[in-house]
Amino acid sequence: MTPTPSSPAEIVAFFFFGLLAAVSAFGVVAQRNPIRNAVALFVHVLSLAGLYATLSAHFLVAVQLIVYVGAVVVLFVFVIMLLGPASQSSGDGAGRFPRLLGGGAAALVGGLLALQVRGLAPERVARAESFGTLRELGAVLFDSAVLPFEIASLLLTAAVVGAFAVARGHHNKVRLTASEGEQE
Amino acid sequence: MTLQLGHYLALSMVLFTIGSVGFLVRRNALISLMSIELMLNAVNLTLVAANRWQPAMTEGGSGLVGGTPAVAVGSIAPHGQVFAFFVIAVAAAEAAVGLAIVLSFYRLRKTVRTDAADMLRG
Repeated sequence: MTPTPSSPAEIVAFFFFGLLAAVSAFGVVAQRNPIRNAVALFVHVLSLAGLYATLSAHFLVAVQLIVYVGAVVVLFVFVIMLLGPASQSSGDGAGRFPRLLGGGAAALVGGLLALQVRGLAPERVARAESFGTLRELGAVLFDSAVLPFEIASLLLTAAVVGAFAVARGHHNKVRLTASEGEQE
Repeated sequence: MTLQLGHYLALSMVLFTIGSVGFLVRRNALISLMSIELMLNAVNLTLVAANRWQPAMTEGGSGLVGGTPAVAVGSIAPHGQVFAFFVIAVAAAEAAVGLAIVLSFYRLRKTVRTDAADMLRG
């Protein structure tokens, strides 16, 4: 198999969506107002879908749009709306130590990863027409990955039941503890 | 120029680092959850990119344990994409449970600051 060069459209798409993803990721972390964080997350997820498209992962583009944009971001926005002004925690200045720790740890991780990435240049093999289509993905998903697939359904069921159980709460206990919290 | 695997890995490194800094620095539980989503997305990008640069299937080497190769010789099996698919499923479950915990925590403390979660402190 000979390596395939990237088309100009692919290169432009990579840099456009990559820049968008980085900027919006920074927005997710840096914005004060939670609804703006959620919008930045929305843009981030969309740009990642674009990056998947440049990697010819068509099925993942659809899944990313449906699951992330359609479910996760909407869930975040819903919770932010439900909490109202309380979702904006005042005084996010965490103190110097956690910030230094966070920045140092991130710099360390980034540096180590950069050492790994540098000089890595494998050849990209030619893409078959069917690569990344639903047909090939389904063949793997229901052949060698069928057990994890079933376990994922169990996991999602457990998550739904658990989310219900946690969010519903025990009303008497909650009132008791909340009044305790107010007395402090 | 031509795009290399390193381009994608460098990008996902940047995204993962931004996510981890956000998780460590921000004190808002909602933002922490969003930072976790950022990190999961960065890992997904790595998996899909590595799948695209994976060497093609050769004769005899199926790469599967105890199964028949699902793709023809000379093409790439989309195992990385399947893995990313599972990561997305786990991320969705994590977001649902995490936001339920945030709601429950808000009922207790009337705030979403992670500093306020000190009920187990002696």
